[in-house]
Amino acid sequence: MAELEIKSVSKSFGSVGVLSDINLKIASGEFVVFVGPSGCGKSTLLRTITGLETETAGDIFIDGKRVNDVDPAKRGTAMVFQSYALYPHMTVAENMGFGLKMAGEPKAIIRDKVGQAAAILRLEKLLERRPGQLSGGQKQRVAIGRAIVRNPKVFLFDEPLSNLDAELRVQMRAELIDLHRRLNATMIYVTHDQVEAMTLADRIVVLNGGIVQQFGRPLDLYDDPDNRFVAGFIGSPKMNFLDAVVLESGPDHVTLGKIGGSDRSLRLPFRSFDPSIKQVVLGIRPEHARLGESGADSVPVIINFAEELGDVTYLHGKTPGGSPMIIRSDKGRFGGQTDCHVAFDPGGIRLFDNDGRRLRADRN
Amino acid sequence: MNARRHLPHYAMVLPFALLFAAFFLYPIISGFYYSFHDWNAATEARFIGLANYEAVLKSRDFARAMTNLGIYIAITVPLGIAVALALALLVDSFTGFWANFFRSAFFLPVVLPAFLAATIWRWMYAPNFGLVNMVLGWFGMPSVNFLNDTGTMLYALIAVDVWVSAGFNMVILLAGLKNIPQDLYEAARLDGASRLQQVRYVTIPMLAPILFFVVTYGFISALQVFDVPWLLTGSSFTAYGGRRNALLFPVMDMMGRAFGAVRFGEATAYGFILTFVIILFTAVMFGLRAWRTPK
Amino acid sequence: MSSVTVNQAIVAELYTWRFLKWVLAICVAVVAVFPIWWMFNVVFADPGTPVSINPRLYPTSLSSGLSKIQIILMETPYLRAYFVTIGYALLTILGMLLIGSMAAFEFALFDFPGKRLLFGLVMLSLMVPTVVTIIPTYLLVAELGWLNTMQGLVVPGLASAFGLFLLVQFMRTLPREMIEAARLDGASHFKIYWYIALPLSRNAMVTLAILTFMKTWGNFAWPLIVAPKPEIYTVGQVVGLFNAPFSHQTVDVVMTANLLAVLPPLLFFLIFQRKIVEGIAMSGSKG
Ligand SMILES: Nc1ncnc2c1ncn2[C@@H]1O[C@H](COP(=O)(O)OP(=O)(O)OP(=O)(O)O)[C@@H](O)[C@H]1O
Ligand SMILES: [Mg+2]
Repeated sequence: MAELEIKSVSKSFGSVGVLSDINLKIASGEFVVFVGPSGCGKSTLLRTITGLETETAGDIFIDGKRVNDVDPAKRGTAMVFQSYALYPHMTVAENMGFGLKMAGEPKAIIRDKVGQAAAILRLEKLLERRPGQLSGGQKQRVAIGRAIVRNPKVFLFDEPLSNLDAELRVQMRAELIDLHRRLNATMIYVTHDQVEAMTLADRIVVLNGGIVQQFGRPLDLYDDPDNRFVAGFIGSPKMNFLDAVVLESGPDHVTLGKIGGSDRSLRLPFRSFDPSIKQVVLGIRPEHARLGESGADSVPVIINFAEELGDVTYLHGKTPGGSPMIIRSDKGRFGGQTDCHVAFDPGGIRLFDNDGRRLRADRN
Repeated sequence: MNARRHLPHYAMVLPFALLFAAFFLYPIISGFYYSFHDWNAATEARFIGLANYEAVLKSRDFARAMTNLGIYIAITVPLGIAVALALALLVDSFTGFWANFFRSAFFLPVVLPAFLAATIWRWMYAPNFGLVNMVLGWFGMPSVNFLNDTGTMLYALIAVDVWVSAGFNMVILLAGLKNIPQDLYEAARLDGASRLQQVRYVTIPMLAPILFFVVTYGFISALQVFDVPWLLTGSSFTAYGGRRNALLFPVMDMMGRAFGAVRFGEATAYGFILTFVIILFTAVMFGLRAWRTPK
Repeated sequence: MSSVTVNQAIVAELYTWRFLKWVLAICVAVVAVFPIWWMFNVVFADPGTPVSINPRLYPTSLSSGLSKIQIILMETPYLRAYFVTIGYALLTILGMLLIGSMAAFEFALFDFPGKRLLFGLVMLSLMVPTVVTIIPTYLLVAELGWLNTMQGLVVPGLASAFGLFLLVQFMRTLPREMIEAARLDGASHFKIYWYIALPLSRNAMVTLAILTFMKTWGNFAWPLIVAPKPEIYTVGQVVGLFNAPFSHQTVDVVMTANLLAVLPPLLFFLIFQRKIVEGIAMSGSKG
């Protein structure tokens, strides 16, 4: 149980900058997930927290104590690696107790602690096996057990489930949630799977290009993204992005035209829209787009194909301007018609400027 | 602070680095120094420029040793590798138990220390009761004094050498053969290639990199041949090389100058000359390989 | 031409080849094995009949062989040479494995300033023939006062570039995350080596140990110059003495000496055949 604070941490390998000015404050007992595309620096950030990499600039605090110069083993962090990194020549019990052995703990205490961790993870029957005789999920549990035995303040997981098959992944996810509840420990979890992020996290950090894009609760990220990257990254299928021009704006509204290259325009309520902005990107999630009648506020879309998943159907199409567009349709089968009209739920529309920044209405 | 962090790394490398410096780097440097001095380890070393190199290069023994070496290498390297390749192909054509059996049998001579191979063959070559002569006797041929007849001595050595080294190279080549995909042979067979043609057009080209290693390594060790001719002849620092120096080789000559004649400067110069030859040859080999494999 | 005759030709070729290859393989096997077999027979035969009458194609007398071995071991300096050589081989193996694996651990898994230079230098030394170093090394050993001592025999051979190369190749395959996991588990640098890298490199170490044993046991030139005193003769030198042209030993005695010298490497070969063959093949394919 500990609070973790990262203050303006940067990291570069030689001349290549990987992390720039990361600032995060993670509360005690929180489950925080780092997501982002491959190569965005998630692992590097994790490894910097635990001390395997040395930050180029900035400070890391655990429970208010600056740990930059503290040895990785003494920071009170424990890490679970994607490849499990179990010691193949040791039994499960020896694997889990290795850290305590290195710390010079007496054998009896090691046995006790290993036994407790094994009980939590239901590994009691496997203690005398070697990693080579375990299944993927069991190995993963041993790796987690090794972390538990060290009784860390902060657990760090680097894509721990990515080597497991889909079914086992779902099961292990549930176990992790359960584990978090029972240990009530601070956990940081890296993944590039946003579904995993949404299901596990108390709060999510979205990283891209070594920069924190947004840090917040899953549904806040989903409903109220700070920028186009987060809007596009969170949610599946993705949010649709349509170019539009600003026709005119008033104190409480803005009127957009040429939406998605069509000749339709749309008047949206929007308090104090910045009149200097002439071009915007309109973001709309598939579930906020409805097939409808041709009308002044609907955009024509040519449907190319449909994904009929049973509970929902996703229609994939293109606007007149050529932007891809996905529409969710709950009822009926895809009749094969290709020309449709799509109306947008005004509450689901998010606006971004041309640099991808979110345009927010004034609250009052 | 950085140096502190790297300290454990240096600590772990230190024993190796120290020993390496003391027993490899230092000898090379000091040897280079001695090679320009007249020195017998008892008196003060005296700088004499290139005189040691000149003395070696102009000596009759050096010419003799180099001639022997030339003939020896010209025969033993190609012959040894041809035999090794033939053995590897032979073993490879068997499967299961018999493949293992023949491989082990052919490899057995490699297990012997070279000094033992020499001593055993010394008796096999013995003029009156040696087995080789006995077999020759069965075919009605006269007894040959292999190790004392200047006409046969070199060839007697080559036979021992091939006997000893064929198994070693065979094992390396066998590993290479195993890596040749079977479908290449099948493709060649469908194209109508005979067994020999398959060897010529599939096996040898596919083995080229390993053959290259075997040839280069074989040459380098042949150049330094010492144990076997030493033991086949006088086996002492005062008597070596055999009758009329027919089995005198450069390393024996070098050792004799160092420990028989106690001229260490000259002996180290000898070492550098040999090294130069080896490096020259290796460079030529690598050049040839680069030239044979364009792009 | 009908396809039947073509097939017959192929079948005929096949059978000839099958037959020939057996004949060939057996002949070569006889040539390869016979000298060693003959040596064995000479030892285990009655010394009475001269070789010219009884060419010793098979062993005839177990007891006379044993008594010859007994005589050699009891009445000549052979036994001491045996111990010297075993000591020489064992100390070389232990030292080389320890020093080499420590260095290989660093070279294979970590980065530190000067690593590339040092490793490059060591790899370069693989290309340098022993002829150029053997005499200056001897002179250094003499200067150190180590002539005719065990350390004189052993120490100069410990920093083996070949051994380092083999171990580095192997340790490079150890996953980096495992080393990091150990570091997070609080293992010090040396403990990571001792508890993780070393046990996981057991295969490579065993291979290197066996190859080193064979090489040290068979090393002739180095003991010859560095340990010329009879008290510290190695088996190679003693065998050389028995075989010297004017030693006036009978063939039985000489062959007994030879047989005893071949026994340890032969046993090693029979036990570790696989590892030896793999080790040699590995050094070939990496070269
Ligand atoms: N030791 C290193 N030296 C140089 N560059 C590195 C090093 N480690 C990582 N990088 C670079 O830093 C960037 C971030 O790497 P990192 O492993 O943190 O990405 P990631 O977000 O974890 O990606 P993934 O989802 O694929 O695991 C990558 O571009 C990578 O090439
Ligand atoms: Mg990663």
